[in-house]
Amino acid sequence: MTGNWLIELTGIVLTALLAFTVGMFYGGLRRKVIARAQNRVGPPVYQNFLDLLKLQGKTTNVTHGLMTHLAPVWVLVAAITALLFIPVLHGGLWFPNFTFKGDLIFLLYLMVMGSLGMALGVGETGNPNGAIGVSRGLSLITGYEIPFVLSLVAIMIQFHTTSLTDLMHYQQATGHWIARENPFAFLAALFSVLGMFHYSPFDIIGAPAELASGPMSEFGGKYLGSLMTGGSIFAFVKLVLITDLFLGGAGHPDAYTGAAGVLLGLVELVIKTFLLYMIPVSIGIVMPRFRTEQAVRFFWRWPLLFGALGIIWAVFWK
Amino acid sequence: MGIIYVLGILIIGALAAFFVDDLNRKWTGPVAMLAGFGAAAAFAFLPGGIVRWRILGFSMHWETDALAGFFAWIVLGLSALALMYSVKYMEGKARQGYFYASFLTSVAGMFGVAVSKDLLSFFIFWEIMTWTSFLLAIYNAYYGVETKGIKYIIFSAIGAYAMLTAIVLALGQYHSLEFSDLMAAGAFRFSSGNWYIPVLLLLGFAVKAAVLPLHVWAPAVYPKTPMSFTAVFSGAMSKMGILGMLLILTGIFRSATGWELTLVRWVLGWLGGLTAAWATLQAIRQNDAKDLLAWSSVAQLGYIVTAVSTGTRLGLMAALYLALLHAAFKGSLFMVAGAVEKQAGTTDFRRISGLIKRMPWTFLTALIAIISLAGIPPLGGFVGKWLLYESLISETHAYFLVILIFFASTSAFLYSYRFLFGLFLGQEEEEAKQITEVSWWMLIPMLALSAVSVVTGMYPGLIFRPAARALESIGLPAGQWDMSILSNVWGNQTDVFTVGSTVGILFVLWALFITFKGKKNTRWLTTKEISTSGEIPAPEDNCTFQRGFFQPFERAVGRLYRSSMDQLWEDIGAALEAFFGFIRKIYTGNAQTYAMYVIIFVVLLILFRNYIF
Repeated sequence: MTGNWLIELTGIVLTALLAFTVGMFYGGLRRKVIARAQNRVGPPVYQNFLDLLKLQGKTTNVTHGLMTHLAPVWVLVAAITALLFIPVLHGGLWFPNFTFKGDLIFLLYLMVMGSLGMALGVGETGNPNGAIGVSRGLSLITGYEIPFVLSLVAIMIQFHTTSLTDLMHYQQATGHWIARENPFAFLAALFSVLGMFHYSPFDIIGAPAELASGPMSEFGGKYLGSLMTGGSIFAFVKLVLITDLFLGGAGHPDAYTGAAGVLLGLVELVIKTFLLYMIPVSIGIVMPRFRTEQAVRFFWRWPLLFGALGIIWAVFWK
Repeated sequence: MGIIYVLGILIIGALAAFFVDDLNRKWTGPVAMLAGFGAAAAFAFLPGGIVRWRILGFSMHWETDALAGFFAWIVLGLSALALMYSVKYMEGKARQGYFYASFLTSVAGMFGVAVSKDLLSFFIFWEIMTWTSFLLAIYNAYYGVETKGIKYIIFSAIGAYAMLTAIVLALGQYHSLEFSDLMAAGAFRFSSGNWYIPVLLLLGFAVKAAVLPLHVWAPAVYPKTPMSFTAVFSGAMSKMGILGMLLILTGIFRSATGWELTLVRWVLGWLGGLTAAWATLQAIRQNDAKDLLAWSSVAQLGYIVTAVSTGTRLGLMAALYLALLHAAFKGSLFMVAGAVEKQAGTTDFRRISGLIKRMPWTFLTALIAIISLAGIPPLGGFVGKWLLYESLISETHAYFLVILIFFASTSAFLYSYRFLFGLFLGQEEEEAKQITEVSWWMLIPMLALSAVSVVTGMYPGLIFRPAARALESIGLPAGQWDMSILSNVWGNQTDVFTVGSTVGILFVLWALFITFKGKKNTRWLTTKEISTSGEIPAPEDNCTFQRGFFQPFERAVGRLYRSSMDQLWEDIGAALEAFFGFIRKIYTGNAQTYAMYVIIFVVLLILFRNYIF
């Protein structure tokens, strides 16, 4: 954090805008991809922006109490805060924001803040479908967080750092992605990402047919709009985190600087995150839905094994 | 002389409360509260000093060094607030003299344990604290008191006998009971040849800290004790076990290498981790707020035990930090349970719901405490979790233990949510409409304890500094601690002040946006006006989802839930009973058999006289 506060503030706003735009477009792309797979035309790619405009433009909004009122705020705050602590591009190319002020353990905990705030809001609505969704969602967290932690611990001990910037720097300096240096940890993290996105086969939380979209069922208008914004930013956060951790991050400050460097870096980031994003999306297209306990048990089997192998790999590495 | 004044105020307060209760019941609570605050004030303003005296040839040594001060503040601060809470909580209940006298004596016992510098006075105060807490544990004449209370006293007795044996052995070996003498002689080292002394002492402390498999008394007794004392019971008294572990293990930590440290890290660390995981799994399936909190206390103590077992800079700091923070948030959570119990008559999730609108301040306390307990930034609990993880990853390299701890702590989100949802969220019961907020006498202590979590979320240095002095006072390296920047041994940092202010500013901004955007057209509905199947539930209907809340999780965990630690002890009990039943057969009641025993004994004596005499 150097320079004056105006530049810092601009950095924060620009980062949030970038995350918002990319996240919303990815959401639209997902709808398009699913539609094409099902042989439909599908909505335009910018459909999510239209939806958001419609939601924010609703004249009547309905809420059930203070926690419900604030639930979207929790989601959004958690997403933006996490975004500010994750480096978007390699050092110097994009605003550093607070990337030196939080490490991976902190990010791990910050990333559940939104879900828990949301869960509280859902609980207050009094809608039983919402509470059932929360029960499923929290159970699922215990499933996918464990392999994720295993893979994080593996790379922490392998590179003797808990800082994301250090890990990115290592990959930049050596040119080796951590996905190559510790493939098992990468595999475990990939499995966790499937769970984090809550797409099929892990979409039991808001299963539309049986739960009336579960936790979301009581939210509409400006509330759903904020949730959508938060969700889009958070999707970007998760993708950038995995890209930074395992896929070498984006941008090459040694080769290109200035506007060209930023542009190239962003293009690289978009390509990497998009390809990464297509993994949960394409698996979601073909997979049927797991029951909650099946999903949790799934994460406690293979992904857990890969994570453990990742740790063993890290211990015997070098 | 401060020690004498504190103990004096507490004991006189106990006697005064006991006798005032006979004169005018209205004054019992305030008298006890005054004694509690008086003791805290005396400790704050009078120099602690050193007290030495001799009785029956044993020397007693009490001293308030930084470590004693740290734990004494947990005890006195929490107790004073709990006593203030008690005034209204115990209003209208029977046997208040008995309650407050036991309460204050128990506080005196805990304070004594904290300041004791020799094993004998440590043990005496330890027993005072145990016995008075037993009296409070059986205060409520509930169904099953004889089995649950007895569980506590049996396990405490096992711990006490273990400690007493260790004390006698230590006296025989080293001719002194001073901690400093014993430490210098290496009495607490496993390599000293008297390895059973530290093992027996640790056994006694493990009972109090409710470490697996000695924890079974805690979930039985915590929910049945009056909540104002359970706050202290779980918040402060269990920490005495942690203090004892610290005192005993210091010598091993100072040596910094060797098999003893490895042994402690493996055995104690894994026991702590297993305690945390097991108790968390149990807490998830409780249907009563008090049972849930009791299991959660066991789990949190598990983290602290693991933190102590590391013996490293970050780990020990995590232990002290979590000890204080747990006292704050679990203290206020038990008070919340007490408040709900007092106003609604029950803390069973299946019988009440939707209290948020009736008891908003209680909910706020519960919310802050739960966020802190779950370790979500930006509140204080997160700092403790951070220190513990970083210590296990970067200092002791206990990679699989950290996964176990992380599993426990992630699963803790489940019961954390259940506590808030079960009591405060969901649809309102018709009968709950007349429930009101508790009195400010109860709210102020609760809010004060929540404030600890909020402040330490941004300025954990406020605790780091006294804790670092405490560690240095027993000769352990504590190093430099910043006010709000946490850093691990690899130099990676987390600045909780930046985190806290970012979250705070963003939260306020977006909350303002969502509140004022279309404010006029935002309708605030009741919890009955929900969009389920196009039907609105009737006033008497309650669709809150409470029964089998975490059934999917329980199914996923599966077989583990079928085993029970209580069953293990019952099996051990049955085996012992069978064994003693067999021994009893010696006493046949037949004079001829006894005569035969005498003859056999004499014959044996004659046969082996050369070996015996």
